[in-house]
Amino acid sequence: MLFNSLHYFVFLPLVVVLYYLIQPKFRWILIFIASCYFYMAFVPKYILILFLIIIIDYVSALTIEQVHGRLKVFYLVASLTANVLLLAFFKYFAFLNDNLELVFSLFGKDYHRINLDIILPIGLSFHTFQSMAYTIEVYRGNQKAETHLGYFANYVLFFPQMVAGPIERYATLGKELKSIHTPLYQNFADGFKLILFGLFVKMTIADNLAPFVNQVYADPSEFSSPEVLASVFAFSFQIYADFFGYSTIALGSAKLLGITIMDNFKTPYLSKSVTEFWTRWHISLSTWFRDYLYISIGGNRVSIPRWAFNIMLVFMVSGLWHGASWTFVVWGALHGVMLLTERLSSKLFKFEIKQGWSFINLLLCLKTFIITSFIWIFFRAESFGKAKAMIKSILHWRGSFDMSKEIWTVLAIALVVIAFDVFYYNSRFELKLNQKRGFVRWAVYAVLIFSLLALSGAQKFAFIYFQF
Amino acid sequence: MFKYIIIRILGLVLIFLGSNYLYTLLLFERDLNEKSDKILELRESQKSADILYFAESSNVNFHENDSVKFTLSEFTNLFYPELNIVAVNNVAAHSGIFKKWLNDVDVQTKNLKALVVTMNLRSFDAAWRHSKLETPLQESFVLLQPYPNIINRFLLSLQAFDSKTEKEREIEMLKEWRKTELKFPFAFKYKTVTDWDWAMANGGQLNADGSWNTKKSELACHYIKAYAFNLDENNQRVKDFDEIANWAEKNKVKVYFNLLAENVEYADSLVGKELVFLMKQNRDFLVKRYTTSFTTVVDNLELVNGKDFTDQDWTTEHYGYRGRMVIARNLAHQLKRQFEINYKKAY
Repeated sequence: MLFNSLHYFVFLPLVVVLYYLIQPKFRWILIFIASCYFYMAFVPKYILILFLIIIIDYVSALTIEQVHGRLKVFYLVASLTANVLLLAFFKYFAFLNDNLELVFSLFGKDYHRINLDIILPIGLSFHTFQSMAYTIEVYRGNQKAETHLGYFANYVLFFPQMVAGPIERYATLGKELKSIHTPLYQNFADGFKLILFGLFVKMTIADNLAPFVNQVYADPSEFSSPEVLASVFAFSFQIYADFFGYSTIALGSAKLLGITIMDNFKTPYLSKSVTEFWTRWHISLSTWFRDYLYISIGGNRVSIPRWAFNIMLVFMVSGLWHGASWTFVVWGALHGVMLLTERLSSKLFKFEIKQGWSFINLLLCLKTFIITSFIWIFFRAESFGKAKAMIKSILHWRGSFDMSKEIWTVLAIALVVIAFDVFYYNSRFELKLNQKRGFVRWAVYAVLIFSLLALSGAQKFAFIYFQF
Repeated sequence: MFKYIIIRILGLVLIFLGSNYLYTLLLFERDLNEKSDKILELRESQKSADILYFAESSNVNFHENDSVKFTLSEFTNLFYPELNIVAVNNVAAHSGIFKKWLNDVDVQTKNLKALVVTMNLRSFDAAWRHSKLETPLQESFVLLQPYPNIINRFLLSLQAFDSKTEKEREIEMLKEWRKTELKFPFAFKYKTVTDWDWAMANGGQLNADGSWNTKKSELACHYIKAYAFNLDENNQRVKDFDEIANWAEKNKVKVYFNLLAENVEYADSLVGKELVFLMKQNRDFLVKRYTTSFTTVVDNLELVNGKDFTDQDWTTEHYGYRGRMVIARNLAHQLKRQFEINYKKAY
């Protein structure tokens, strides 16, 4: 079920009303049924994959807690392998086939491709990572294994964040799911504000940019260089608005149930460096990779070459996590290269970014935005050929700098996004808004409601991160 | 707390009303022009129309070599120079769409004397009923629903109408071909469209030397998929035509269902008499069902020669000028019952 659907607008209030009507000890049953229903609106049979993940990690964690020594490692490895294999089968099987075909052709051999015609289950990468985080924490002794299968299932299935995160830890979400929540006015008010803002960001901003971006990326040669350049920046705003919009609706939906989930974004395009960008963009995934991969392979407590290798590995795996294609790996690798360049140059030139706002910092923000926008090309382009065509179109300047309707739209939307980001910099929309005077709040509501109802994209696009 | 909440709800209602007013004032017309242009065209054209002609692409397609580029409705109008026959055309439209257009037909208008509704035999088949073109057709009605304009605009953004994806529609179509059993009053070896299509695709059309004629086989497969079905009252298009017939009776407006010509000649030579049997059986079903005091079926099914179809390697109802002239003449003859005094022999 999509958040931006009539179906969800009926489903959510119904779940919220029932949630507060039934006794707290039975609420987990409602959340479980609601989450299953939510997920089954996509491809019903794929719920079985989630059940399998739940059973594997539930049993593994309980076993890990009871055994010691090598056996503990064995169960952890077995659990992680099962999760990764599931992910690999559904997400990377076709990718593996493509690569084997390529390798065989290089040696002049025929490769008999196995076509399983698998549709990737929505959000599979998110479920497996969330579930694996739990098993690892139990293994490390930071988390007690959950004995109640229902609560653990809800941790993996919790509908507001099940298909595109944030990737929560059991220590926080598990506790929230078990707490007894009473209906509070402030939770409802904040929940509605977040949902309204999330829908506005997704439907009015992202969905209005999507048609232009899709057209240009489909065939860049049909467009002038200024238009291609505009589409590159447009995609930066589109993917931000799309994913941030989803996360904000998720936050708001959970808030209506009294449950707090983590922030996944903190105004990433106001980052002064790529390093800072990764502390503000898709925070739950960055911290997952930091805690479970980067630190596990030595982090920065190693020699400089090894540290550089660790950074590159983490970013490339992160790229592959997003999509089964080499373009995603390159996207990750380019971020890794930028991060290394920043760290090494700041050491070499003893350059330190000062806190607060200054003209230099504004220029640094602009630089970071331009760099990340160009790296997004590899994320968005369907192939290296398309990415190359996009870059070539910009480098070999064609056409005059006429401000077409599309470029004006991108510019206007960019200003709206930046204005909102500046408004709640280092905070959150509803928290910042609650500090304002009544007429300011209501003026903002009026603008958001009008924009959402009257100016949303006339076409509906699924959330970009659902495919991961 | 109760008062506090009521004040906020009232505030939201005010914002909603203000938004709806602003939207209607500033943006609604633009959106309507973009999404529902055919409805606007209908509203405008009926003001001067004596006869409205609802059509799909058959009315506006020509052969590239046609010296006369009159549409079907224009050819018909030649027989009635004193009357104004106005067409509203929308590619891939069908009875489900025409039925909705009727909501915008003002029956009080003094001019309107009759309605011609295109009846395309292929539009009853699974391929057309589950066509990807259905989504934009359905989209054109969203802004005209009986809700506040701004709500309709939001429903458009939510795609809250029959907006299935191409893939979803394809699955339904394939399922229907696979599961619906074909009924013949005689023994026939293929039970479903899928069976028949598969057999034809695997060597149904052979060249003189015994080799497989791929091009002819492909075309034959298209004919099977387009015409191999048994019409009954459960077909959605039939239900829609029923509603149009009811509308005619209720509003006392004479409706002519213009059953278009199909390439029966090619269907016979490419596939065989079994397919022609189904086509004729379905035609008979429609003629019988819709020959009432307010509805008439204008039967053109076998009127056009195979070579007068514009598309020779596909199944369409696009005709060269000869084909359009024949159909228009037949329609004009049927209209004569109602408009005898206006009739003039045109050709």
